[in-house]
Amino acid sequence: MGLLTNLRDSISRVTDGLFAADEPKRIGIYGPPNAGKTTLANRIARDWTGDAVGPESHIPHETRRARRKENVEIERNGRKVTIDIVDTPGVTTKVDYKEFLDHDMDKEDAVRRSREATEGVAEAMHWLREDVDGVIYVLDSTTDPFTQVNTMLIGIIESQDLPALILANKTDLSGSDVQQIANAFPQHETIPLSALEGENMDEVYTKIAEYFG
Amino acid sequence: MPHQCIECGRTFPDGSKEMLSGCPDCGGNKFQFKPSGAAESKPSAEPSAGSAPSADSEPTTETEPAPDFNSRSGSDTGAASPEPAESDDPGDPVDRRPERETGSAATDPVDGDAEHIDGEEAEDSAQASARSDVVSPDELDRAARETGSAAVDSESTEPPASQPGVDELRDELNEQFESIRIVSPGQYELNLMELYDRQEYIISLQEDGRYVIEMPDAWGVTDE
Repeated sequence: MGLLTNLRDSISRVTDGLFAADEPKRIGIYGPPNAGKTTLANRIARDWTGDAVGPESHIPHETRRARRKENVEIERNGRKVTIDIVDTPGVTTKVDYKEFLDHDMDKEDAVRRSREATEGVAEAMHWLREDVDGVIYVLDSTTDPFTQVNTMLIGIIESQDLPALILANKTDLSGSDVQQIANAFPQHETIPLSALEGENMDEVYTKIAEYFG
Repeated sequence: MPHQCIECGRTFPDGSKEMLSGCPDCGGNKFQFKPSGAAESKPSAEPSAGSAPSADSEPTTETEPAPDFNSRSGSDTGAASPEPAESDDPGDPVDRRPERETGSAATDPVDGDAEHIDGEEAEDSAQASARSDVVSPDELDRAARETGSAAVDSESTEPPASQPGVDELRDELNEQFESIRIVSPGQYELNLMELYDRQEYIISLQEDGRYVIEMPDAWGVTDE
């Protein structure tokens, strides 16, 4: 009996280990609205799978549902890292349909977009709690990173002991200030990039492999 | 004749015991209070002062204008400062309105209150107590939250206040746990920590303010 039990335990340990190793880590791309999360997700997905994740837009809250791209294989230094990318809606504490009216949108559409964006934030927060193994936190390096949302989200990520990579996006813009972001979150490494132009993506992939591999 | 039955129109002097068990003529239990008349009938009000506290045990005598007096006397006695202290529930726009009125513009009610204040001076505390019995549930809610309200008021309103107080507490608790506040259609305020902490997943917001939530954990447990 003891032999059988030991054998069964050994088999289950081996199979568990196999599944754990095979299961790609789910990496959530988080950040405030219009930081360039979808642009980054598309850049990563196109570079390694050829597909896009979702439409990009300069209008805030374009992404109102979390979108997942599974089995993105990133090869770095002869080593393969497989991740699932989850592009999440921009997180904010206030959603107002009026901000969409400036983008040639009628009120009905703006109100609907606002409601969907709010649902999107709820979904993003839910994913953060339940479903991600690591976080890529994207910030627009032309804007002030000292916001309630950023502080709260980074705090939550830290409290969960999730590996987190902070990306200072939009370095192609003239007002970009990467150092400001590095100063805001000195406990984390800050990687500058332009997801739109593909600048410094090599370092981003190296860090992704290092942090989430 | 400060009190008038709103059913049959019969009037009663201030502090009258007749009306405590309902209008003797029509049995109505709603009376209108006329403060200007109170000043005129001041002499008759004083002798009946001693008997007025019996009104405490007679909450059935309900005069509708009384809530106004109760709330005003509450704010006059310094309840204005405790009310803004309830900033831990800043979200309820209905609650915020009176706070702003009392806090930012304390002089606003003065004009309207001038004659009422005169009337109050003309009456004794027993009469004020008798009238403080008859408050609407809304006023009771507010009174229950005014921690600094006059002791006389709280004593006399305690028995009827218990039920609305529970409702109020429930509202406050619900508010603390609210994760998405609909300010107006298309305008939302989100409590990120609350959204993060809650196990249920809000998948859809309805126009009327209802949520559709999914509880995957609960389903998972029952399935297993």
